[in-house]
Amino acid sequence: MTQSMMEKHPLAQANWVLVLLTIALAGLGLINLYSASAVRLGEGISVDSHFQKQCLWVLLGAGCMLICMFFDYRRLISSAEPLLLLSIALLLLVLFTGGTVRRWLPLGPVNFQPSEAVKISVLLVGAKILSRGKDPLNWKELGGVMLVGLVPAALILKQPDLGTAVIVLLILGGMILYRGVKIKIIKVCVLVLILSPVALVKLVIPNLLDYQRDRILGFVNPEKVNPDSIYQNKQAKIAIGSGQTWGKGYLEGTQSKLRFLPAKHTDFAIAVFGEEWGFAGSVALVALFCFFLLSIYATAREARDSFGSIFTAGVFFYFFWQIFVNIGMVLGMMPVVGIPLPFISYGGSASLVNFCLVGLVLNVSMRRFVFRAV
Amino acid sequence: MLINIQEEYQPPRHSLPLLQVLVLAMFCVLVLRFWHLQILQGEQNMQRAYANRWREQMVHANRGLLLDSRGVILAENRPSYAVSLVREDCRDIPATLAKISQWTGEPLSKLERLYKNSLEERVPSFSPLALARDVSFEQVARIESQLVNWPGLIVESQQRRFYTYGEMFAHVLGYVALANSKELETYAGLRRGDSVGKQGLELVLENRLRGTKGVTALEVDALGRPLLREEKTSPRSGEDIRLSLDTDLQRAAMTALGKRAGSVVVMEPESGRLLALATSPAYDNNLFTGRFSPSAWNSLRNDERHPLQNRAIQSVYPPGSVWKLMMAAMFLHEGVNPDETVNCTGEFRLGNRVFRCWRAGGHGKVNMRRSLVESCDVYYYQTADRLGIDKLTGFAQTAGFGHPTGIALPSEKAGVVPGREWKLNMRGESWQRGETVNASIGQGYTLVTPVQIAVYVASLLNGGRLMKPLLLRDERPEALGGTPSTEKERAFILEAMRLAVEGRQGTARSIRRADALLGGKTGTAQVVSLGDTRQKPEETRYEYRDHAWMATWGAKGDKKYVVVALVEHGGGGSAAPVVRAVYDHLFAPETAAARGRVAALGYMPRQDVLNDAATDEAIRNSRQWEKFVRQAPDRYERE
Repeated sequence: MTQSMMEKHPLAQANWVLVLLTIALAGLGLINLYSASAVRLGEGISVDSHFQKQCLWVLLGAGCMLICMFFDYRRLISSAEPLLLLSIALLLLVLFTGGTVRRWLPLGPVNFQPSEAVKISVLLVGAKILSRGKDPLNWKELGGVMLVGLVPAALILKQPDLGTAVIVLLILGGMILYRGVKIKIIKVCVLVLILSPVALVKLVIPNLLDYQRDRILGFVNPEKVNPDSIYQNKQAKIAIGSGQTWGKGYLEGTQSKLRFLPAKHTDFAIAVFGEEWGFAGSVALVALFCFFLLSIYATAREARDSFGSIFTAGVFFYFFWQIFVNIGMVLGMMPVVGIPLPFISYGGSASLVNFCLVGLVLNVSMRRFVFRAV
Repeated sequence: MLINIQEEYQPPRHSLPLLQVLVLAMFCVLVLRFWHLQILQGEQNMQRAYANRWREQMVHANRGLLLDSRGVILAENRPSYAVSLVREDCRDIPATLAKISQWTGEPLSKLERLYKNSLEERVPSFSPLALARDVSFEQVARIESQLVNWPGLIVESQQRRFYTYGEMFAHVLGYVALANSKELETYAGLRRGDSVGKQGLELVLENRLRGTKGVTALEVDALGRPLLREEKTSPRSGEDIRLSLDTDLQRAAMTALGKRAGSVVVMEPESGRLLALATSPAYDNNLFTGRFSPSAWNSLRNDERHPLQNRAIQSVYPPGSVWKLMMAAMFLHEGVNPDETVNCTGEFRLGNRVFRCWRAGGHGKVNMRRSLVESCDVYYYQTADRLGIDKLTGFAQTAGFGHPTGIALPSEKAGVVPGREWKLNMRGESWQRGETVNASIGQGYTLVTPVQIAVYVASLLNGGRLMKPLLLRDERPEALGGTPSTEKERAFILEAMRLAVEGRQGTARSIRRADALLGGKTGTAQVVSLGDTRQKPEETRYEYRDHAWMATWGAKGDKKYVVVALVEHGGGGSAAPVVRAVYDHLFAPETAAARGRVAALGYMPRQDVLNDAATDEAIRNSRQWEKFVRQAPDRYERE
């Protein structure tokens, strides 16, 4: 068996299911984005430039994906730390050059979000540190890994971008759990989780910015806060709910076409999808995402070294948290935080990163049998 | 060959199920939530989405016109201009508001308040907000030339209520003005910025005049911009309503009153329809429909002459000798023999109080007819004193006094019919005999409105029915009560009234005319007691001068009218010229009112007691009248 595997070209070993699912998701994303970029004028519709731009981003992303496939991913181990330092430097640059909201770095015609680069480098450095040794992590090791996430997360929080900061930590947390920690640490963490709501109310909430607080409080108690901050959530729920079983039909969504739905091409793009394709379409899309995640999981399971496996698990969590938080937020189950939905939401930097990560997972899957033969 | 340099890697044992469980949990949670929103609450969310984008917009409905009995327009709608702001198109709201203020002279604070209110009431950003209403044509011309520099500003054409004759009908028509919050709650379909009836018939007939707004459904986007328009219902104009009033007659009455304070009521006795309801001084009700400054309002309200008061129904006066029409009817009804005489020496003594007759020397022997014709006070002092106050109170109340006549205008006064109970309730004192004597000639506590007198005089002519005074031409006549007088008793009073006009000693001789039958009773209501001295009106201070009454009826052909005039502080006799002018109009050959067919009159007073021959053959030939003449004296002589 191994013999025959070895003889095949690495491409034959690639996770082709993941490729197909990625193409399906990116295609659905473009189809939906066409609708989400459109507004009704009288009886016709007008599509803005977001759709065309996203087409370009997807093509660029596909290119990046290919590049990410055709080198040995283990080469990244050595460049992980420099990448992290570079992205932290970019974060600092954004912080010191921008205005009140400092998330983008203007790069010629486009804006680059350093926080996206941070996600990749945290993944790499995290995977590198976690792949040393086999035993469950002890406090000291855990602290070292957490530091890798906490520093950039703090900087991202300063931008301010609460959602991305939390996602970075969640990805790292997922990787740590995947790697395994001592039972004692898990016990302590559970205790902290129980106590954290108290800390949240006493320490975190008073220090948040007004709009962040409003969104979170708006989620907990919709009647009590500024109506504008719960408007998004309300309109998103109406949009999705009014799709009912079969949806209003492609390009027929009224909530999105008449601009009731805010951020309809970015964070709330799935509300457009839900409105036009209904429950049937929504379940199909969620199922597609689940298969996508499971096919990443397959690669994590089959990876031939611990770096590849933990890195792939990190990619799994990268997608998992974004999908879960974004859809949960649009469905009104979580506070409104600016997390895009992979492949469905418009966004250049995010698209590139998504494709690069899929490319790296394919890279891992391609090389799972290399060196295995004796 | 490549060499495996590492042991075969196995992922941590616990971690693979962890990922699978996470994916499964996410799938379940999200699908459950989608199901909740799209299936369970789907219908509800569908409706919310619908309500989000479909707005209803009201389309203005014209207010109904008010016309006089012959179709002359009394209240109509005229175009007026408003400077309005369309919020979404406006770049600099504060500067624009300041500019409007500068152009139109509206205070900036008022504009800012209007603007703030519109935000609070969530007026859509695309719908124009009228900031300055009723802008003059010259201002509009100037503003329009500069409009291009002020995006978001438009000049809107609106409708403004216009009252053709202003002061002449102000108290009857009332006026419309911008609806306040309370009225917005009261009337369905009323929106802020709409006008609503505030006074008079505009208020009473509000629901008929207003009409129904049309509804246009508007599909809008989240910014409120309209995308599609669908008319759901078209607007329905309010009803045009004809009044029973006659413009020419009203003008004649107003002209006759001139600058004096007072009122004239002209009524058709059979139906209770009012042909004129004049009150003076009046105000221009057009002032209220446009921009009305608080200072103008205050000066009207604080005017010593009370121009806002409708004196025909909202002012009460002592009836004076006009009251004798009611008193004599009461005496007859109580069985007093009209031929029984009272010796008038010019005064009536009760204990140590002296009540004087208006004629200082007295009238000598006076029967009931003469007491009415010559208005002898002592006859009433003595007879009322004998019968007692309760009879007076009871009869006056059944004759329509002491309660509103039911005219369809706001704030009608009830007047006062004094009595034992009334005095006990109002003053906590028992009734004094002297007060009966005072009440018998319509002084003391007695208070009536001119329209009450008109209704009572009409009842003498229409068979004793107390008709509701009607202001609308097509309203069904309605009797709200009846006097207990018999036909003959009423005829007696009418005859005496006729004699007061036609007889040599009649107090109402000044209104006598050759072309019609007239009956009348004068009245002089004392405002203050001046003791024994009788002063000429010109020598008395205005507020102390007597009110002058004249209650009359006139007939020509098949037309019968009741005309009542009151002149405040006019001094005795000043009402007669007013009544005369009204009859001049009613019976003038060129007026429509005079062009009646000469026909059977119903009962009319006796021909033989008239000093001047009646000119109208028809009256003499009336068979009903003959019958009446034969029967009436018999009865009284027998008793």
